[in-house]
Amino acid sequence: MAEGYANDPEWADITPIELNDGSDSGAMPLATIAYPSEYLEATSYLRAVMAANEMSERALNLTKDVISMNPAHYTVWIYRARILFALDKDLIEELNWLNGVSLKYLKNYQIWHHRQVLISSQTHFPSVPAKEPDFLMEMFAQDSKNYHVWTYRHWLVRHFKLWDSPRELEDVEALIKADVRNNSAWNHRYMLRFGPRDDVPDAGMVNAGNVDISPEEKGRLPVVDEDLVDAELKFAQEQIVRAPENRSPWWYARGALRAAGRGLGEWEGFVGKFVDGDMVKSSHAVEWLADVYAEAEKVKAVEMLTMLKEKYDPIRKNYWDYRIRQLGEVA
Amino acid sequence: MPPIIAGRHKRKVRFPAANLPPAIISTPTTAQQKHTGKKSPSDLKPGKSSKSKPITASGMASQEEPRPGIPALFTQPPPIRDPLVTETVQLQDATVNKCLTFLKGLHVSQQGTLNASGVPALQRDGHAVFLFESLEEEYPAGFVAMDASRPWMVYWALAGLTLLGEDPTRFRERVLETLRPMQNPTGGFGGGHGQISHLAGSYAAVLALALVGGEDAFALVDREAMWRWLGRLKQSDGGFSVTEGGEEDVRGAYCAATIISLLDLPLALPHDAKKAREAGFKTLTEGLAEYLSRCQSFEGGISGSPGVEAHGAYAFCALACLSILGPPEETIPRHMNIPLLLSWLSARQYAPEGGFSGRTNKLVDGCYSHWVGGCWPLLQSALDGKPQSSGAPPTTFGNLYSREGLDRYILGCCQSPSGGLRDKPGKSPDSYHTCYVLTGLSATQHHHYRTNTSITSSETFASAFSWQSTPVRADDNVYDKADRLVAFHPLFVIPHQAAANMRLWCERQPIAT
Repeated sequence: MAEGYANDPEWADITPIELNDGSDSGAMPLATIAYPSEYLEATSYLRAVMAANEMSERALNLTKDVISMNPAHYTVWIYRARILFALDKDLIEELNWLNGVSLKYLKNYQIWHHRQVLISSQTHFPSVPAKEPDFLMEMFAQDSKNYHVWTYRHWLVRHFKLWDSPRELEDVEALIKADVRNNSAWNHRYMLRFGPRDDVPDAGMVNAGNVDISPEEKGRLPVVDEDLVDAELKFAQEQIVRAPENRSPWWYARGALRAAGRGLGEWEGFVGKFVDGDMVKSSHAVEWLADVYAEAEKVKAVEMLTMLKEKYDPIRKNYWDYRIRQLGEVA
Repeated sequence: MPPIIAGRHKRKVRFPAANLPPAIISTPTTAQQKHTGKKSPSDLKPGKSSKSKPITASGMASQEEPRPGIPALFTQPPPIRDPLVTETVQLQDATVNKCLTFLKGLHVSQQGTLNASGVPALQRDGHAVFLFESLEEEYPAGFVAMDASRPWMVYWALAGLTLLGEDPTRFRERVLETLRPMQNPTGGFGGGHGQISHLAGSYAAVLALALVGGEDAFALVDREAMWRWLGRLKQSDGGFSVTEGGEEDVRGAYCAATIISLLDLPLALPHDAKKAREAGFKTLTEGLAEYLSRCQSFEGGISGSPGVEAHGAYAFCALACLSILGPPEETIPRHMNIPLLLSWLSARQYAPEGGFSGRTNKLVDGCYSHWVGGCWPLLQSALDGKPQSSGAPPTTFGNLYSREGLDRYILGCCQSPSGGLRDKPGKSPDSYHTCYVLTGLSATQHHHYRTNTSITSSETFASAFSWQSTPVRADDNVYDKADRLVAFHPLFVIPHQAAANMRLWCERQPIAT
């Protein structure tokens, strides 16, 4: 195929549709690319077979050829998925090929949507493919915060109802162990523990997207498993002790308490250990105390916010000032 | 005027192919190393091309004294540092080390350009030349990945040039002829000729046409087909997929709302809006705000789709979409938990860098000057409440972020010595970053607010067309007067007048449903 489609008898019946870059009008087109000739030819044949809506082996091979030259070409991925289903191809084989492409092109939306389209097929994949978590961990070994891969993994959890699958939590814990600042892993953990499940529409927090429920109530679980919340809070504390200035576990803990409808006050003792006069080990602890004191000891709350503003997080001065003003209005 | 006479002939350009814009909102790109066989010199992965030096209060990588006029906040590491080093810390240290040289005004390229605040001047001509070239010269073969994003390349260059005070209308005919083959008879624009229509490409194409303006540009869009296509993209959960058969995300929501409002498309669902009709929706916008509400994460920020990690680019898309759908002081508090959102958004700004990161524990990147920076006028407008009946700017909570920090990051760290703007020191410039870093700079230079007067007489979207801006007072700016940029509309990311012209022309050509 590398020698060209024009000389290939298999393609003799196709009249390629040449690239129209607008130059026929006489105007000089903008933002043009010096396409390699193989790419120009392959995409000319792609336009032709797509116009005819051809579902064939040769069209499938053509899509692979175009992808090898430009995996960001979203059109060719969508066309490829349609052909795969139309010809009832072996999707396991497709996944194996896709794994290689994924590892080669780490920042690509299309690959992950394509994977989702394949695995969505209940006929082919009534349950999660056994090697799927291993492959995702291989991706995370390259980039542990890859947004596309995490988006896909979140979809996978929902699609196959994997919230309580031991493997999900194991992988999250391994990633947090390797880098306690992997916020993507913390987000995944939150969704496993506190996200909406089953028939409830997907959301970053429960109670969202319902106009009858105030956004203040977002994240608040209707039924709380206190043991689970306690275990998550304990986990967060262990991780905070490892690196107290890491925002991720602090905000995870806030999420857990919010889910349970419990206040920040119960952590006052733990948090206080990180704020000892001039020995402040965590700006997040100072902020936590400010929130605790905001309830009843506004002077102390202002003191905490002022510490953040003046010493521990001064780039956010205007925000801390806003918080101080909010306290004044409440008082 | 920049010293270039453009468009006479085509030359191969010398853009470094190692560093294309990240796929934040655009139809994506892939790693370019495959094409060049080279690794980017800025590859920060620990253990690979750069060894990060740990930063301690006593052991800075760059020990030299900063130039005068620069506060310690921007020359010192943060006051608290955890002993535990992980990959995140290594990457962060390497970034801070690189930035400090620039923030202190010590980089060789900054010599002679610093003002009294220790901030380098905006290299206006260099950036304009960079954008003219990105528009008019042929990209080398290594850029083939951009073949699915060509409307973006036109938009980024035109928008950046407009911010710099250049007149984009001289490109009108060429823009029209470039985009015309990308439009599909079934509605929308693809990333190039023969590619299926994509919401991101359609957004960029519509904005590029608005930038050059004129009846021919507005009439190029087949608005009725666009409306029908949008109906087919509308999903049963209220959101939009970006293509037929493609992924659904918050980009889709924002791009659709922009297209619907600028082109004055009918809100009623077209007949073939199958999924939306089955879900019981009557209009294109119904259920959209609720979908965005479900994208707020427990951290307070907003993710690309429900349940994923909060991300700066998607936060802008969601807040801008809500602010198109209705007045921000109504739509944002109705659908977002504001205290959580404020906290997360505010935490995106780092010191000493001064710039914004897109996610918790990720690095600053110049493009978030727009994606995160652009959230602030919208949120601040939501907090300020209803516009004044006098039409005057509101008594305001003011800026809740550090304009000075962002200006220092943009002018100090994001300007490439050879023209164009970039993610961070060590990265190559590209038109994506040039456009959005300049957009961010412009936003720091203007106070954006809404008035009671809208350019549209229709009630729908009245709020979206009621924004005005005034330049920020000069006395506390760290940049010079000569570095001021044109103001952009905070929702549509083009000049206010360009948005108004397109909307008003379309209102005079109603589409029969």
